[in-house]
Amino acid sequence: MSVSAEQTFSTTTPKELERKPLVLNQRSLGWISDKICSITEGPAPKWWWYAFIPSIMVMTLCFTMIGYLISTGVGVWGLNQPVAWGWAIVNFVFWIGIGHAGTLISAILFLLRQKWRTSINRAAEAMTIFAVMCAGIFPMIHVGRIWYAWWLFPIPNANSIWPQFRSPLLWDVFAVSTYFTVSLLFWYMGLIPDLATIRDRLRLQAVGLTEPLGRFINKAKQYVYGFFSLGWTGSNRHWSNYEKAYLLLAGLSTPLVLSVHSIVSFDFAVSQVPGWHTTIFPPYFVAGAIFSGFGMVLTLLIPLRTLCGLEDVITTRHIELMCKVTLATGSIVGYAYGMEFFIAWYGGNPYELYAFKNRAFGPYWWSYWIMVSCNVISPQLFWSKWCRTTPWFVFIVSIFVNIGMWFERFVIVITSLHRDYLPSSWGYYSPSWVDVLTFVGTFGLFMTLFLLFIRFLPLCAISEIKGVTPQADPHHPLGGAKGGQH
Amino acid sequence: MSAPTTTVSHHEQAGESSIWVSLPWILAAIGLIGCVIGYTSNPKQLGYSYLTAFMFFLSIGLGSLFLVLIHHIFDAGWGVPIRRYLENVACLLPYMGLLFIPLGFWAENLYPWMTADPHTDHALSVKSAMFNKKSFFIVSAIVFAIWGLLSHKLRYWSVRQDETGGSDCTHAMRRWAAPGIYLFAFSLTAGAIFWMKSLQHQWFSTMYGVYYFAGSVWITLATTYGAALILKKTNQVPMLQRLQFYHLGTLLLAFTIFYSYIHFSQYFIIWNAAMPEETFWYVLREKGTWVYVCWALILGHFVVPFLTLLRIDVKLKWAVMVPVICWVWMIHYVDMQFNIMPLYHPNGISPSLSDLSAMLFIGGTLAVIFLRNFRAHSPFPLKDPRMGEAIKH
Repeated sequence: MSVSAEQTFSTTTPKELERKPLVLNQRSLGWISDKICSITEGPAPKWWWYAFIPSIMVMTLCFTMIGYLISTGVGVWGLNQPVAWGWAIVNFVFWIGIGHAGTLISAILFLLRQKWRTSINRAAEAMTIFAVMCAGIFPMIHVGRIWYAWWLFPIPNANSIWPQFRSPLLWDVFAVSTYFTVSLLFWYMGLIPDLATIRDRLRLQAVGLTEPLGRFINKAKQYVYGFFSLGWTGSNRHWSNYEKAYLLLAGLSTPLVLSVHSIVSFDFAVSQVPGWHTTIFPPYFVAGAIFSGFGMVLTLLIPLRTLCGLEDVITTRHIELMCKVTLATGSIVGYAYGMEFFIAWYGGNPYELYAFKNRAFGPYWWSYWIMVSCNVISPQLFWSKWCRTTPWFVFIVSIFVNIGMWFERFVIVITSLHRDYLPSSWGYYSPSWVDVLTFVGTFGLFMTLFLLFIRFLPLCAISEIKGVTPQADPHHPLGGAKGGQH
Repeated sequence: MSAPTTTVSHHEQAGESSIWVSLPWILAAIGLIGCVIGYTSNPKQLGYSYLTAFMFFLSIGLGSLFLVLIHHIFDAGWGVPIRRYLENVACLLPYMGLLFIPLGFWAENLYPWMTADPHTDHALSVKSAMFNKKSFFIVSAIVFAIWGLLSHKLRYWSVRQDETGGSDCTHAMRRWAAPGIYLFAFSLTAGAIFWMKSLQHQWFSTMYGVYYFAGSVWITLATTYGAALILKKTNQVPMLQRLQFYHLGTLLLAFTIFYSYIHFSQYFIIWNAAMPEETFWYVLREKGTWVYVCWALILGHFVVPFLTLLRIDVKLKWAVMVPVICWVWMIHYVDMQFNIMPLYHPNGISPSLSDLSAMLFIGGTLAVIFLRNFRAHSPFPLKDPRMGEAIKH
């Protein structure tokens, strides 16, 4: 039997628990367009040149080292027996990991209806593409005779040699290339309305131009932006098709995000090498990749929001939320470190246990403890609200995250290999100067591409940000055309 | 801006004759009688059946605790109307400590390592510091104490907020949830290893804790969806809306994929390395009719729910979701059987009356306690600051 009752419940939110808006200071839709497009319009600011010129130089260093490697051979690296996988694989996994956050923010957070993604997704997607390009360099040059790298693809050649499909290294070729292609498409798809915005603004700016050169440049830009905006007019039909395509690409990208780093983890886990063969590797690698990806997004966006005057668009709320994801994934990574060690003991395999003891207390003990300090301990600072909402502090922690995640891959690759089953073949791996400069050079490549992106494409998704402003909600007190200031 | 308060009409369960009150008693009594019969005819079978049922219901308690912890840590808003239900389910965990007592008495018959000689068993001797009776009972007591502390503190502050409406209660719940998530991860892993994985103590997998966790949250989401449906239909929590059902359905799809990913990864890595000290666990589960159970898990735990839940609109269609919930319950039970029973029935799955009796006894007993707790407080948080956010969609 049931009886009817009335109950009164509160729907008020105390001031201290109110959520801050995703765009601060009631910025109008016009202000958002102006602010974001202004980065691509007009002369490049000084800070951009100060960053771009050193980046170009460092990138040149990278390609010089690669040229030296190809012309001389992989002997210029610090590889030895038994460490046949050195920094190249460490760097590959490091960059692939960084490439995770972009599509994660775009696809998974989109499917989960997380509106806060809108301010950071564009830059994160660009980061993904450039990071995957940096990653792709290393396995390609690691094959030694780079002119045979095309053998990785399943193309019948004169000797009827087919790729080894049972090797996870070949799975990588397909996983990474598919991920890159879909990420690029997804990034481009989201850019279309914003490219059309820039095109239309160029048309308006052309009216005031009198110099022939200025008019020519404006016309050329109009043509290029117009070409890539695919005739976008912002009609209802265009938006409808766009939304459907975006949802489909988000759905397709989501399993790719998870598959890429799972397959990278299989490079290690499907083997029988102590320290590599452990079942938790796939989710642990995915969590680590998200962790490092968010670390790099924070490293890039915290200075950029100040340099570009975007504090009202990339707010402390965004930084705080990213810190929470970093904390969560850092803790998952910490759980995986703990489980690896525990099961090495639990399993009773003396080789496995030795590999883990050797990690923590062997010749590379320093790398293990750097990894633990940066990846497990430093993100725990984000339990404090002050730490999460103080940009300069978050920036420092994000650097630690980047360092820690590089060391994680170093620990996995180097410490597992340098002492194998035969003590007579044990060795100590040290990188050569070519190893170091090649890795440093990839940062130049990454930064060059990223700075070009900032200069020529909208750093934030203009149309998506407009959709999450209070003004975009017709039920909001500031909704529609009632509020906002230009 | 939201109105400061909203008044809703809802139904309160009353009277001892209500079917919701008497049914669990009847089920528990039938289950108890079945268990007594099972004990007299085949106590070892009953022991394994009881362990299977115990781990099944433990999944729901732990999954509920996890959802409450995550709700507070990520400052979620949408889950407020269903949170009181989850808090009450999580509060069953310490009672499960009492239901664990029979397992404690049967432990020597259930876990071969308890009677094995560490001097002749390498896999046991290397972990004898952990695998001894004293550790087994101490760790078991600690994990139940952790779950009891967390679940009761979280419900205490939630109920207190019904009276005060203060944001200090929200902050207190967050403060408990923050260390709670670490304690949860540690205790769930310890429970899964000690009570399930240690049935074959020679086997090891770093993924196992995550594997049990993934299945636990999967069944909890399905159960919560079903409970939300009942609470909505009976007008006990009238503010449950499409938003809550949609999110629960979406999370169910996400955990369908997550579980499959976890289990596939575990299997694939072990299969590919082909090391006998690992593969024997799966080899045993591919013998006799267990191979059909493997296929049932592939189809039932992934293919069927994945394809069913993929469409956006089905998450709001009761005609689809109710069968999905029943399916999830059945498949999760099959999963628990897959983990536990091959040790006792190596030649194939062998359902017995004890399986049903143990499920009825544990399920009925927990339902009695749940209903008593649930009726003691408002069925939804009355003054949670995020309630307005949860119902405005």
